[in-house]
Amino acid sequence: MLSFHRAQLPNGLDIVAEENPDSHSTALGLFVMTGSRDESPKINGVSHFLEHMMFKGSSKYTWEDVNRIFDEIGAKYNAFTSQEMTAYYANVLPEFSERAMEHLSHLLRPAIRVSDFTTEKNVILEEIAMYLDDPGHRLYEKLMELHFGNHPLSMSVLGSAESIRQLQRDEMADYFRQRYGPGNMVLAATGRLAFDQVVKLAEKYCGSWPHVDAPRHQPAPLYKPQRSDLFDAKLNRQYLMGMTPGPSAQDERRFAARVLADVIGDSDGSRFYWALVDNAIAEDADFGFYPHDGCGSFYLAITAGPDRIEQAQKIALGELEKVKTDLKDDEIERAKNKLASSLVLQGEVPLGRMRSIGSQWIYNKEYRSLEQDMATLMSVNRESLQKLMVDFPFAPMTVVSLGPGSQGGAPEA
Amino acid sequence: MSERYLQHTFENGLTIVGQRMAGMQSAAMTLLLPAGAATDPVDRSGSATVLADLVLRGAGARDSRQLTDYLDSIGLQRSASVGVQHARFGCAALAERVVEGLATYADIVRRPMLPQTGFDAARDLALQALAGIDDEPRQKLMIALRAWHFPSPYGRNTMGEVADLEKLTLDLSRADFQRRYRPQESIISLAGNIDFEMVRGEVERFFGDWTGTPSGPIELLPPPGRFHHVQQASEQTHIGIAYPTVQETDAEYYAARMAVEVLSGGMSGRLFTEVREKRALCYSVSAGYSSLKGLGSILAYTGSSNDRAQAALDCVLNELHRLHDGITAEELSRAKIGLKASTIMQGESTSARAAAIAHDFFMRGRIRTLDEIKSAIDGVTVEHVNAFLAEHEPGPFTIVTVGPKELKLP
Repeated sequence: MLSFHRAQLPNGLDIVAEENPDSHSTALGLFVMTGSRDESPKINGVSHFLEHMMFKGSSKYTWEDVNRIFDEIGAKYNAFTSQEMTAYYANVLPEFSERAMEHLSHLLRPAIRVSDFTTEKNVILEEIAMYLDDPGHRLYEKLMELHFGNHPLSMSVLGSAESIRQLQRDEMADYFRQRYGPGNMVLAATGRLAFDQVVKLAEKYCGSWPHVDAPRHQPAPLYKPQRSDLFDAKLNRQYLMGMTPGPSAQDERRFAARVLADVIGDSDGSRFYWALVDNAIAEDADFGFYPHDGCGSFYLAITAGPDRIEQAQKIALGELEKVKTDLKDDEIERAKNKLASSLVLQGEVPLGRMRSIGSQWIYNKEYRSLEQDMATLMSVNRESLQKLMVDFPFAPMTVVSLGPGSQGGAPEA
Repeated sequence: MSERYLQHTFENGLTIVGQRMAGMQSAAMTLLLPAGAATDPVDRSGSATVLADLVLRGAGARDSRQLTDYLDSIGLQRSASVGVQHARFGCAALAERVVEGLATYADIVRRPMLPQTGFDAARDLALQALAGIDDEPRQKLMIALRAWHFPSPYGRNTMGEVADLEKLTLDLSRADFQRRYRPQESIISLAGNIDFEMVRGEVERFFGDWTGTPSGPIELLPPPGRFHHVQQASEQTHIGIAYPTVQETDAEYYAARMAVEVLSGGMSGRLFTEVREKRALCYSVSAGYSSLKGLGSILAYTGSSNDRAQAALDCVLNELHRLHDGITAEELSRAKIGLKASTIMQGESTSARAAAIAHDFFMRGRIRTLDEIKSAIDGVTVEHVNAFLAEHEPGPFTIVTVGPKELKLP
């Protein structure tokens, strides 16, 4: 049976764990409440660049040691950075838990050597170039920038080639000191484990980390209806995205928002699917929910031929109006059943549970068992969705498009 | 075979394989049909892709919307895709739901409606997907690499060609369905919280009287050449390298597999170390083992800014050549533990196991248990791998690039 445990070290590091004796492996993750929204424009991209530098060694280890040690224990390990969170994790066989914990702790005390910093800068520039070859990513960056305007969520995770070239090693070290305090993190462990042991290891390897206060600015976003068309003659397809306010990651209505998003725009069987993809007006038409810290968004994403994009957009926006008045119980039940299956499947894999528990704790300082999530999901009904659409009526909306059909639009900067 | 595994071939040629997994609430199903791009008719590439979409647009007594609504209502997480050798349908959910869905999957692959409106939309979507390839140079590279490395028809783009798709009609698709959706060479696999007697009975009930005609062997023709450049105005030059190695059923397979792990297993892999960590020539670099029946290959990829791409290509090639000189005991030890951990972790996912045992049966005619894989990995020695590498010099290389300018090839 699953059991939940929590503890806090004297320096403020929260430890949360869900033990599953049926698992064959252990997943460990350190989640840090920091990301591009915590950057100033001058150092934009530092959170993500720093995540790379964590793998470049501590005072004790070089980058070669870091990579070698993780591979010696057969760990499946990685890290990711978003606008508001950075996470480092390893999935290992239970007998390697201690070495994984020790190693993760070294990762989060980086040396940031100048020579490594200079070399890795070129890797980041390659990553930026790689994403420039991905129209979906280019459009998403533009959407976030425009939708959030002066709000810090508008900041790009990767930064620009220019901001990365200008970034100094000491600016990164300062950012690290300000953001990577144990009070701004959680250690999440799932799968086969003994909690006492996890706490002991955390104490041993992370107990000396100094506490720092890492407050986050929470200005209220100023949303307004707006549209931007980017012209790119090189592309064949037209890409369109829209974003509009939704509940935050802390908001109880987030469960209803997830169900509503699937009713409207799941990849199969949703309203967008029948109105746009089943008949091939669009190749893809998704509607999703994207909760953030303190605010949230719904988004739509459509890919179609340049000659069909206007029609597709009109149909999609029409569906967003229609769903407010003719929502059916059976479509809600179907969306809930699909989401319930994905909860069960994700819950059987330690890495999936670790991500869920870690990010839940980072945002809400709350543990939710799979059963609780399931019960909340199942309690969503037509009334809650209708109320949600009164609170968040899909307006104002930011719309951006990219492709060869935006003749009137500006070339992308 | 232990009681955790099931394997049975019905009289009509359909095989069921299964794995019971303790502690799981879910089950997953994979259904492989001998309807991949390799058996598309010569001038009708893309047929398999259109068909795999079309069969989901109404089957049995349910029209397209009723079918989708029903599968959604029982909460099935679904997938459908077309590879070179198979059309693949998969689903996962609470175990009893997956078993409940079997009757409907029998409708889909045996009694699809194949309606005209559905055909028009499925073909239109296939053409749209093709048009999108130019917008994603990395995907474009991988398609070109396969076309120039594998013998035809294995190197075909599963998405088809515009001219062929434009010629495709509903009648041709219906005939294609009759030919390729058949029990012979089809495999249905189930993994998770399942009762073997029950699922075997259910599969027999819904698929047992399925009939069809087996087809002959595929004639393989050599690819057009080994070096190819695709002109594209992109930020990075995308580079693909492929070369043949032993196939999955070969006695040397695990030795070959370890060599790939040393090349690209973790972040201490040679490619990541040399191309990215030391020289910062790329963000993404990797090599993997690719398995088709009768053909084992290594496929490698990197993408690098246009002015640094030559250095990246040279560096990857150098690492591939260097394998010939052998690997160290430490490298092998990391490769072994890495592969073993992956194998054990695969045992935590019903979807991963359903896919793996279906693949095993197709390749070997039997399931490999997780214990068998673990002991095969344990049994590999550094002498063994190095003897293999000394005997098999990497190459000949197929090299394909997508970018604004051609690179200098060896």
